[in-house]
Amino acid sequence: LSHVMATTFFRSIFRVLPLLLLLSPVNSSSCAMGNRTTQIREKYENILSHDIDELVNMSAEYRDRCCKNKKHENSKVFFCNDTQEIESLQSMACNMLRFFHKQKISKDYRWKAALVSCGTLQVLQCKCERHKKDKVCMQVNTHNKDTEKSEQSKKKCNQEFCELKENISSLRSCWNKFEKIIFR
Amino acid sequence: MLKMTQMSTVLSIFVLFLRTTFGESGCTSADGDGTFVDDEPDNFDIDCFSQLEFKDSYSSLTCNFTELPPHNTNYTLALCTKEDGNYVCFNMEKQEEAYFLQFTDILSNKDICMDSETKRRVCRSLVVTDIVKPEVPFDINITYQKEANEYLIHYSTPHSWKKYLKDKLIHQIAYQKEGGTWKTIETPYLQIKLLGKNLENDASYEVKVRSQPNGDYFKGMWSEWSTSKSFRTAREQHSTESYNSMVVVIFSILGFMLSIVMIVLIITFWENRIKPAVWPKLPDHKKTLEQLCKKPKNNFDISFNPESFGYVHIHKVDGIRAKAELENFLQPSTALETNLTEKFRSGSDLRMNLAMTDKSNLNLSVTYGGIWPAEALHRLLGTNQFAVTEGNCSSSTYEVCHSNRVPLCDDGFNLSSTPLLDPSGLPGPESLNGDTTSQMVSTGEMRSPNNEEAYVTMSSFYKIQ
Repeated sequence: LSHVMATTFFRSIFRVLPLLLLLSPVNSSSCAMGNRTTQIREKYENILSHDIDELVNMSAEYRDRCCKNKKHENSKVFFCNDTQEIESLQSMACNMLRFFHKQKISKDYRWKAALVSCGTLQVLQCKCERHKKDKVCMQVNTHNKDTEKSEQSKKKCNQEFCELKENISSLRSCWNKFEKIIFR
Repeated sequence: MLKMTQMSTVLSIFVLFLRTTFGESGCTSADGDGTFVDDEPDNFDIDCFSQLEFKDSYSSLTCNFTELPPHNTNYTLALCTKEDGNYVCFNMEKQEEAYFLQFTDILSNKDICMDSETKRRVCRSLVVTDIVKPEVPFDINITYQKEANEYLIHYSTPHSWKKYLKDKLIHQIAYQKEGGTWKTIETPYLQIKLLGKNLENDASYEVKVRSQPNGDYFKGMWSEWSTSKSFRTAREQHSTESYNSMVVVIFSILGFMLSIVMIVLIITFWENRIKPAVWPKLPDHKKTLEQLCKKPKNNFDISFNPESFGYVHIHKVDGIRAKAELENFLQPSTALETNLTEKFRSGSDLRMNLAMTDKSNLNLSVTYGGIWPAEALHRLLGTNQFAVTEGNCSSSTYEVCHSNRVPLCDDGFNLSSTPLLDPSGLPGPESLNGDTTSQMVSTGEMRSPNNEEAYVTMSSFYKIQ
């Protein structure tokens, strides 16, 4: 009898399993739904656009010849797809967060890049697939930067720096494209 | 058995339902102490303001209690952000009577929470961009513009070289006379002008400035007042004005008087001088010729009245032909030529033109009816006596022969056919002016007769000129 009961129990569980899978909380889209065009426009126009400009100016301080000879074989190429600008910006911002811990890049530069990434995710109300990256934003939004004395900007040219620089450029271009849409 | 199966199914579904609903509630807390955020509205009175880009990329939040809490109780203020269902809080640092915190994220919505030993955490929503307090303006400069009698007040703000609040501030300028009341002016620009006429002369004034977000996106409160700057207004504002007005009055009077004088002069000299100059009369050929042919001496009768020449035979002619054959018939007479040259120097073109002009090219259109009396011709030509017969050109009188390029007279030089160039009677082209005419008459009348004669007509005068 106990054997039969156990078998029955497990059968019921197995039947429920598909139901569980079906009713399991489906992760909502990683970006908030809803028409938030006005809010996005205001935050971008008054705050985020200035941060992006400042980051681009920091990129310009490096020599132009720095990344011309660098071959980005393994680097991802991000496109700003039509009608999918928000998703494209989310991908770019999440990818930029992985550079936050790259020691070869100057601290100020990667810290500022992380700030822009987190700001982009905040404005668009998006999350990254890997939750670890969101912890970077938590760290960036604190004043931990002051705990370590900001080193003199090492304007070194390396593969990771060039990848980050290219990522920043793509992010800015995609925001410019999205801006024209939301400013209509 | 069936019942057990049903029960397990129901139990599974129930557990699933609970997991689904509670999983999204965000009831967890980051600090892990299990305390839950109280959603009750604020029941603590604190005033907070934010300062953007306070230091580098950091912004700051400063809060203080409007009602001081009991001294025995320790309170903690924290700035909390909800991220991914987690409530992340950062405690504010207590500085004397205020609480202070630096942070970077000004995009996300935040809560200000108060913790105390006796009460649960109480939170209130906080929008950092709505409680912005700008930094204090500085470096006030006052410049007096004498010509315009204005005082230019210029100042600076630290936000000019920052990102967020640049060109998004309203500035308030307050000024007062020493011992007087404050007056304020608001402007979005970094300078303003005070009119001198609105200020007292030779008085001491004080100026100070403060700023506030313009409210388009960033809202907030006035900054602290800047350091006051004093200045003294000019002393001679009124005298300068009165001097300028006096100069204007004097110039107006002078202009008026000048215009009156001009009008009187115009009226006075209109008929005699102005009108002839503006509207010159068309020359009358008769009078002009009379002027040209000034009354010569010695009984030269110059008149166009046929009755005056009753004693001579007058042959009516159609016109005048100017003979250009002077050189062929002229005797080389240096004296006369020299005289003639002198006379015609100013109009030397006449001789040149006559010399160069072929008689066939002469097209004299002026009709001239006049005959030199023989006596005059005799005097001019000296001993040459010519007997002319009436009825033809070779008469004792010189006739001006003219036709349409067809000489009425012989081509040879004779008194009848040659164009008479009487230095006394028919002066050169320049003697269309009266002065030269008289000169020629006075100086050349009794010169030795010269065969260099030419008939010059009015038309050739005009042409040559």
